[in-house]
Amino acid sequence: MTAATASKPTESVAVRARTTMAGPRRRLPFSPWHLVLIPATIVLLFPFVWLIVTSIETPAEALRFPPDLTPHVIRLQNYPDALAAAPFGRFFLNSAIVAVTTVICNLVLCAAAGYAFARFRFLGRTALFIVMMATLMVPFQVTMIPQFIIIKWIGVNLLAGAGIGHIGALIVPNAATAFGVFFLRQFFRTLPIEYEEAALVDGANRLSVLWRIVLPLSAPALATLAALTFLDSWNNFLWPLIAINSTAASTLPLGLATFQGAHSTEWTLLMAGNVMSLAPMMLVFLIAQRYFVRSVAATGLTGI
Amino acid sequence: MGTNRSYIGVLCALAMIGASALAACGSGSGATTASGGGGSIQIWEGYTGAEAKAFAQLVTRYEATHPGVKVSSLFVNNDYTLQKVQTAVAGGNPPDIAYLYGSWAPNVAKLADVVTLTNVVRQPGVHWSDFWVGERDVATVDGRVIGIPALVDNLAVVYNKTLFAKAHLSLPGPDWTWPQFVADAAKLTDPAIKQFGTAYVTPGSEDTVWHWEALLWAAGGEILNSANTKAAFDSKAGLTSLNTLRTMAVTDHSMYLDPTDSAYANLFNSGKIGMLVTGPWDLSGFPNVHYGVQIMPSFPGTDGGHQTISGPDNWVVFNNGTSRVKTAEDFILWLTAPAQVKYFSLKTGDLPIRQSVADAAGFDAQMNASLPEVSTFTSNLGNVRQARPQIATYPQISQVIGTMVVSVLLGKAQPGPALAAASAKVDQILAGSG
Amino acid sequence: MTASVALRRSRRQGLSSPRGRRGRVESLTGWAFVTPATVIIGLFGAAPIIWSLILSFTNDNGLSSTSAFIGVRNYRALAHDPVVTQAIEHTVVYTTLFVPGTMLVGLFLAVAMNRKIRFMWFYRTAAYATMAISTISEALVFIWLFDPSFGIVNYFFSLLGIPQQEFLNSPSEALQVIVVMTIWGWSGFAVVIYLAALQGIPQDLVEAAAIDGAGRWATFRRITLPLLSPASLFLAVWLTINALQLFDEVYLSTKGGPLGATTVLVYYLFDQAFQTNFNFGYASAIAYLLFVVILVVTAIQFRIGRRFTFYRS
Repeated sequence: MTAATASKPTESVAVRARTTMAGPRRRLPFSPWHLVLIPATIVLLFPFVWLIVTSIETPAEALRFPPDLTPHVIRLQNYPDALAAAPFGRFFLNSAIVAVTTVICNLVLCAAAGYAFARFRFLGRTALFIVMMATLMVPFQVTMIPQFIIIKWIGVNLLAGAGIGHIGALIVPNAATAFGVFFLRQFFRTLPIEYEEAALVDGANRLSVLWRIVLPLSAPALATLAALTFLDSWNNFLWPLIAINSTAASTLPLGLATFQGAHSTEWTLLMAGNVMSLAPMMLVFLIAQRYFVRSVAATGLTGI
Repeated sequence: MGTNRSYIGVLCALAMIGASALAACGSGSGATTASGGGGSIQIWEGYTGAEAKAFAQLVTRYEATHPGVKVSSLFVNNDYTLQKVQTAVAGGNPPDIAYLYGSWAPNVAKLADVVTLTNVVRQPGVHWSDFWVGERDVATVDGRVIGIPALVDNLAVVYNKTLFAKAHLSLPGPDWTWPQFVADAAKLTDPAIKQFGTAYVTPGSEDTVWHWEALLWAAGGEILNSANTKAAFDSKAGLTSLNTLRTMAVTDHSMYLDPTDSAYANLFNSGKIGMLVTGPWDLSGFPNVHYGVQIMPSFPGTDGGHQTISGPDNWVVFNNGTSRVKTAEDFILWLTAPAQVKYFSLKTGDLPIRQSVADAAGFDAQMNASLPEVSTFTSNLGNVRQARPQIATYPQISQVIGTMVVSVLLGKAQPGPALAAASAKVDQILAGSG
Repeated sequence: MTASVALRRSRRQGLSSPRGRRGRVESLTGWAFVTPATVIIGLFGAAPIIWSLILSFTNDNGLSSTSAFIGVRNYRALAHDPVVTQAIEHTVVYTTLFVPGTMLVGLFLAVAMNRKIRFMWFYRTAAYATMAISTISEALVFIWLFDPSFGIVNYFFSLLGIPQQEFLNSPSEALQVIVVMTIWGWSGFAVVIYLAALQGIPQDLVEAAAIDGAGRWATFRRITLPLLSPASLFLAVWLTINALQLFDEVYLSTKGGPLGATTVLVYYLFDQAFQTNFNFGYASAIAYLLFVVILVVTAIQFRIGRRFTFYRS
C-alpha cells in the first residue's frame, strides 16, 4: 500500500479485519494471553519472592535450608538496620551520579557513532566497527589491570576527578560502550531512509537530521539503551572494587558487599540492601516504559 | 541548525563537567597516593558484623592514644583482596596494610612492595613465639616473615545434641575415633526425613582439600615429603583417610555433598545434619540448634592423634615510603598486642591469635559466655602440629588433590588408583613441568 | 498493489556515494560523529587488549614486577593443555544451548507482551527485573531450586515420576543447570530487545495482511519475523559474545566443578591468573584464543545475518 491509499479502510473492511484478527470467539472474560504470562511471570519473579522474604526475616529464620518462604516472625527492622550499617545515603548518591552521567554520555556518544556507522560511508568504517566490536570480546579480568593503569595516568595528567579513587574513574571508561554503538547502529538501520534523504535534499545538515528526525523515531531504542546502561552501571561491582579506595567514593554494590564476610554473611541485611538497590532500577525502567509505546510517526510509516 | 549543534554540545559538556565536579567533591579518599604521608595509613580488611564493629573501636582507640595518626580502613571482601592488591601494586598504588589469606602467602611474597618483617618481629615486646606455631609458619615464606598473624582457626566437629539424643547415641568424647564417627553418621542418617549424618563440601577447591588433609594427618600421613619435592600422600594413611570419606559418601550415603559450599551450614542449622567438621566461624550461624563441639577423632593404631588443621591469615605491610611503613608497623603491632587480641576475641568469638591470651585464667569461660563451646576450638589449637606446604605451587597441588577427593566422593574413582594418579600429577608439578 | 508485502533487501546503507568532494565531506563528518565514542572505546577497550596481547608472550605472573619475553611458549602450552580443550568444549556446548534458548524464550514472551491487555506494565517490569537482580542472589536461588535432596525441581520430578537427578553434583548435568540459570537471567534482556523491535513494526502492515486473509501464524512468519530479523541478529551476536565469556554464574556456584564439568574458558583463565597458577602470561594467551574464537563466530554470524536480515529502505 502506498502512502496515498493508507487512509482508513471502509467500515465493513475494518469490521472484517477486526474479526479475523481477533481469532475464535473468546470464551474467557480476560485475554487468553494472561494464561501464558502469569505462569511465566511467576517463574521470572520467584527469586524476588525469596529475596523479599529473606529481607523481612529474623537472622535465625534466614539461616535455614531449604529456605522457608513463610517466616513466623516478620522483622522490618532489617531495612533501617541495613541503612545504618554503612553510609548508604552516600553510596546511593554516588551510584546515582555515576549511573545518570554514564547514561547521558552513552546516549549522546553512541547515537552519534551508531548513526555514522549506520548511514555514512567513510574511509575505514568497516575496520573501525570491527575494532569496536572486538573490544567486547575480551573478558574484564584480562583488561582490568591495563584499564587501571590508564585511568591512573588520566587522573594524574589530565583530569583529577577521573583518576583512581574518584567516581569519575567509574564514569569515564564506560562513557561509551561498543554495545551501545552496536545496538543503535542496528536499530538505525531498520529505520526507513526516505525521511533522512528527504531532509538532506531539503538542505539540512547531518547533525540536524540526526537530532530532528532520527532520534525522535528512535525513542524505544534510546529508552532501551538508557535502561540497560543504567542497569549495568548501577550493578557494576568488579571495576569499582578495583578503582575505589575510600568509603566516601564507594558505590552501592560495594556497600552491599560489606554484609558479606569471608565465612559468614548477614543475609537479612544483605537482602534488605538488595531490595532497596532494586528500587531505583525499577523506577528507571518504569519511566523508560513510557517511551516503549509506538511513536506516532511510526504508525504512519509505509516506506515500502 | 546551529542551535541543534549547540544543544548537543552543551549537553555533553555539562555531563562531563558535572561528572568531574561532583567526582572531585565526592572522592574524599583517605590515603593520598603521594608517598611519605606520614601520619596517615590505609588498611584493607574484610570485616563484617561484630568483627567490623570491634575493629572500628580499636582503630578509634588507637587514634585517640596516638595523636597525629589517622588509620582509614576500606572494606574489601577477603576473596577479592588479592586481585585488588595485585592491580594496585601493578598501578603503583598499594595500600599500607592488607588482610590476605594465609594460603596466598607464598605468592604474595613475590609482590615487589611487600615489606619484610623478619627483624620487626624479633624486637623485644613483640613476643613472636607467643603466636601459635601454625600462624608463624604461614606468615613465613622461605625464612622471610612477610606478615603478622591476623586470624587463626582450626577444624573440629560440631554436632547436634538433639539428633544424637533422638538416635540414642552417646555424645562424642575427647578420645573418640574415626570409625566411631562413621558409625554415628550412619545411625544419624534417615532418608525418609532427609536427614544426613554428616556433610562435605565438594567444589574441589581448597575447602574440599583441607578437610581431607586433616584426616590424612590424623592417620599419620603427610602431604609432601620434608623437602617438598615429592608427593607423600599415596600411602597407607592416604588410603585409610580417603576410604573413611568414601564409606560415608558412597556406601552409607550418610554424607550430604555440597558442591557450592553454601548450603551445608544452613542445613545443619535446620537440624538436617548430625555432625559437621567445621571451624569456629560457623558457630554463630547455628542459633536454632543445641550444638556441642568436640575435637577431631583419631585413627586407632596410628601416631596421628587428634590432629587438626589450621587456616591462619595475615596482615601484610606494603611499602609506601619509610615513614608510612613505620606507622603501619606500629599500628599492626599494637593491633596484635595481647590487650587488643583479648578485646577483639571476646567481642567477636574469633579465636585469640596469641597463646598467652588463650591461656589466661577465665578466658575460656568469658568466650563461652558469648559463643557457647567455642573454647573447645581454642584448646584445639594445641592439636595443630603442622601447616600445609608453604610453597608457591601449593594452589596447583591443591587443585589436583581436590579433583581426587571429589571424584572419590562422587563414586567416579576408587581411592587406590585416584591416589596414585594424583600423586603422579603432583610430582610433575613439583618437578616444574606441571 | 497487493498487500502481500514485498520487502527489499538492502545491501548498501548510505545516503550518498563516497567519491569526490561530497564523499570527502561525508568521510570527515562520519569521523567527526564517530570520534568521541572511538576515543573512549579505543582507550579503555582496544589499548588493554593490545596490552594483553603483549602480556601473552611473557611469563608475567601478576606479582613480581619482572617478567621475561618467552615468545609463543604460552600458545604452545595452550595447544597441549587438556583442560583448555575441555574448557572449549564446555563453552561451545553452553553457548549452543543458551543462545537459541534465550532467544526463543525472549521472543515468545515479547510477542505475548506486545499487546494492550491489562497489567502489561507489570509483566514487562517482571521481565526487566530479572536483569536487575544481583548475580549472587540469582545463584543462591537456583542452587536451592536444584538441590538434589531439598530442591523444588527434584520435588516436582518425584511428583511426575521422573527419577531424581543429581544436578550440580553431577558432572554431566551441572552445565545444564547453569544453562537454565542463565537463560532465566537473560530472557528479560531478550524480551526488552524484542519488545523495542516489535514496537517498530508498523501496524498497517500487519492489518493489511489480515485483510488479505492471512492467518496469525502466517502473518507472524512472513511479516513479523523478517521485520524482527535485525533484532534477532543483534541478539544472536550479543548473546553469543556473552555466552562465550561466561564467568560470574560459574564462579558463584560451582567454581568450575564438579570435576571441571563447568570449567569454561573465562573461568579457566581467571583460575590461571588469580587462583591457582598466578600465570598472567598464560591467562592472556587463553584470552586471546577466546578472542579469536569470538571474532570468527561473530563474523560468521554477520555473514549469515546479511543474507537473512531485512532492513527496510
